[in-house]
Amino acid sequence: MSATFLRMALLVSLGLCALGILWRVSTWFRVRIGPDARTIPLHRRLSAAVGGAFAALFSRRTPGILKAFVLDVLLQRRLFADSKVRWLGHLFILAGFLLLLVMHGLAKLVTLKVFPAYQATLDPFLFLRNLFGAVTVLGVMMVMGARRHRPASSPIVRRPGDRIFTALLALVLVSGFLLEAQKVASPRAFYRMTKEYLDTTDPEETLPLRTVWAAEYGVAFPDLQGTPDPDKLAEGRELHNDACASCHTRPTSAFVSYPISRAMAPVVETLDEADAERWLNYLHVFACFLGLILLPFTRFFHALADPVSLLANGAASTGPLSPAARATRRALATDACVGCSLCDDRCSVAPIARHLGNPALLPSHKLLATRDLALHPHSLDRVDAHARRVAEGAWLCTTCGRCTERCPVGLDLADMWDAGKGDLAHAGHPAPAQWVQERTALEWADSLGASPGALDVLRDAASPLSAHRETYSACVQCQTCTNVCPVVAHGGEEPGAIDLTPQKVMNLLRLGMVDLALGSRMVWNCATCYQCQEHCPEGIRVTDVMLELRGMAYRSLGQSRERRQPE
Amino acid sequence: MKYALFLGCKIPAALPAYEMSTRAVLGRLGVTLVDLPFNCCGNPVRSVDREAFVVAAARNLALAGRAGLDVLTPCKCCFGSLRHAQRFLDEDPALRQRVQAFLAREGLSLPTTVVVEHLLPVLARGVGLDAITAAVTAPRTGLRVAAHYGCHALRPSDVTRFDHPLAPTLFEDLVRATGATAVEWPRRLDCCGDPIHDANAPLADRLTQAKVDDARESGAEVLATACPYCHLRFTESQAGGARAPLATMLYPQLLGLAMGLAPRTLGLP
Ligand code: SF4
Ligand code: SF4
Ligand code: SF4
Ligand code: SF4
Repeated sequence: MSATFLRMALLVSLGLCALGILWRVSTWFRVRIGPDARTIPLHRRLSAAVGGAFAALFSRRTPGILKAFVLDVLLQRRLFADSKVRWLGHLFILAGFLLLLVMHGLAKLVTLKVFPAYQATLDPFLFLRNLFGAVTVLGVMMVMGARRHRPASSPIVRRPGDRIFTALLALVLVSGFLLEAQKVASPRAFYRMTKEYLDTTDPEETLPLRTVWAAEYGVAFPDLQGTPDPDKLAEGRELHNDACASCHTRPTSAFVSYPISRAMAPVVETLDEADAERWLNYLHVFACFLGLILLPFTRFFHALADPVSLLANGAASTGPLSPAARATRRALATDACVGCSLCDDRCSVAPIARHLGNPALLPSHKLLATRDLALHPHSLDRVDAHARRVAEGAWLCTTCGRCTERCPVGLDLADMWDAGKGDLAHAGHPAPAQWVQERTALEWADSLGASPGALDVLRDAASPLSAHRETYSACVQCQTCTNVCPVVAHGGEEPGAIDLTPQKVMNLLRLGMVDLALGSRMVWNCATCYQCQEHCPEGIRVTDVMLELRGMAYRSLGQSRERRQPE
Repeated sequence: MKYALFLGCKIPAALPAYEMSTRAVLGRLGVTLVDLPFNCCGNPVRSVDREAFVVAAARNLALAGRAGLDVLTPCKCCFGSLRHAQRFLDEDPALRQRVQAFLAREGLSLPTTVVVEHLLPVLARGVGLDAITAAVTAPRTGLRVAAHYGCHALRPSDVTRFDHPLAPTLFEDLVRATGATAVEWPRRLDCCGDPIHDANAPLADRLTQAKVDDARESGAEVLATACPYCHLRFTESQAGGARAPLATMLYPQLLGLAMGLAPRTLGLP
């Protein structure tokens, strides 16, 4: 590979990486999450961000922000508290990757400046390169292993680029080790060096040196297997000390590549003939470049977004944020999330998510769904199963705040969920108690009647009370329930007021006309105060039935809503 | 006495003063509280999926059962929810089996003996009114307090077994134990309006307003609550109104003051 071409490729990928970063950063100011973010122009968000960053960087809070950066982002103290394996794995990846990048990837720019005697083939660099690579591999394995133990119902969120990036990282590491191993064992690499430094490639002439390199440096010469000739060895060592030793340590300190080179030794000639070194080099370098280009579009972008997000938190701690700053912080949060799922593990509704088989309830999934809706405001225009699951995720959240408390990056998730609910309602997916108001009880009943079989849902195991006539057959229509009902008493006359009374709801059930009750205001505005149930002279569980009817309505009217929308 | 403390979702997020005052008062009265990794009580999902509701509640019962503890909750909605789940599980063996299978995946199992209690009965009957009276060192003499019962603790009485559903005295007894005067007010057993606030805010506000007006007209200076939802509904709906709001106070705050605890430890200014 010519040096100019390499430099060009590096520059191009660096440029693309920078453009990608710029693009991603620009989303922090462009993406609008939450109804309050919709009307704020770009320039207001930019100026609010600059002001906020300034306030955070030059205030009494700065030491606190720095401390949070070290403890939360670099040292991941909350991950430490949760899972030692994942914590160590993360630290290994972070340290191994960074050190490889600086010492090896940027050798010319950094290492040579600090250690002018740097040679890739000299210790400690040779050893360290293997160490850092091995540490990175180990880290990846630890994190992946720890994740494998997650239940299928609580999956880790994945972004599209993540798998590709992980694959590229693996490719870089594996090709790096293979390349190093090939170079160790390759006679061709040996002759290239003798040509350059001794101006010969003659096997006989270089025999003494070859003996040394076969015996101690792992080069697999086919004619020099077995015990080396002591005379040749002594002669070669002299030459070696003069010409090679200053740049080469014994490759045994490459504790990963060296064993690989032993495995490759028997076939190294074939590999040489196939130009393996060159291809491995291409693979290694281009995987690096491709990784660089993709980096801003993967989960690993959090390395940049996290510190900025902490800065935003710092600004928030100095006083209430302006709506413009809040909007920016929300967009930033979707990038700062590291996908650790610690929030999911603590989520109050995680068992409900598991039971419903709907991971959209889990905060880390909800975060991406919130961003997706903001990026593609028409993506949920259709009322379908997907939209229902996303909406369920938002509306079943109890706003308990545990996710916010847990998040290692300190994301203000509570604010995010509020904003997300606003966006969902705007997109036509308000809470069930709201969307049932789209039609009257009669219209809902009609919509069910239009599709035979719709009422089957009423007979499912989820509604055991209503499914049995005995539940309400004893009702004597005495109206006691209605008389004690505060919702009837305060129901009022205005539109949307109470349409049925509890006693009438019970009567509809008795008459087998449950479909007329499902969408009624009475059922959905019932305060669940249990006055009716407590006072009913026949012991009818009026409130329990009301709540069951809501569950039925949620399913059956929800299906009817999906069917009846304009194409 | 030892209980697993079930705070639910609302208290930690929106009313930390309730947790503080509950811990402070119970600690002083010799009740030990244990924290377990509980989840949502299930109430919010009851309108959507009955079985998911039971599963969520049952998991909490299972956690308490594994720890060998009864449950104490300061939230009346959590209390009602957990009690209802117990009833549903008791009357429906098939449901019980499905829930058991769900819990078993986590290595948990449904307990048979866990008792779910609300803070107020634990104080009135567990600790006892005599012990409370004895602990009161700074009686709130002359303070006129309206005690708000809260639907989900009081009714349905066959599930909650809180007190007599039509003529309860438990909360007033506890108010009097602090040295304060419990006012008679006609709407004391009515709904605070909170459960329908999301579905129909104006209707909910009318319910809340009726209660607050009634308490005020009956001469109350303070509205005492023992549930985060009721409490926040009363404070939020009065905020920004033309009249000066009727003061609201969480019962453990009232009791804590009467026991001479520092207002700071009760989440009071
Ligand atoms: S606030 Fe919502 S998403 Fe967060 S932990 Fe609580 S229930 Fe889960
Ligand atoms: S929101 Fe926070 S806790 Fe949840 S996955 Fe993202 S970084 Fe982790
Ligand atoms: S109080 Fe009971 S018996 Fe009377 S109308 Fe209502 S449900 Fe029927
Ligand atoms: S539980 Fe519902 S229907 Fe029954 S009295 Fe209360 S508000 Fe009315």
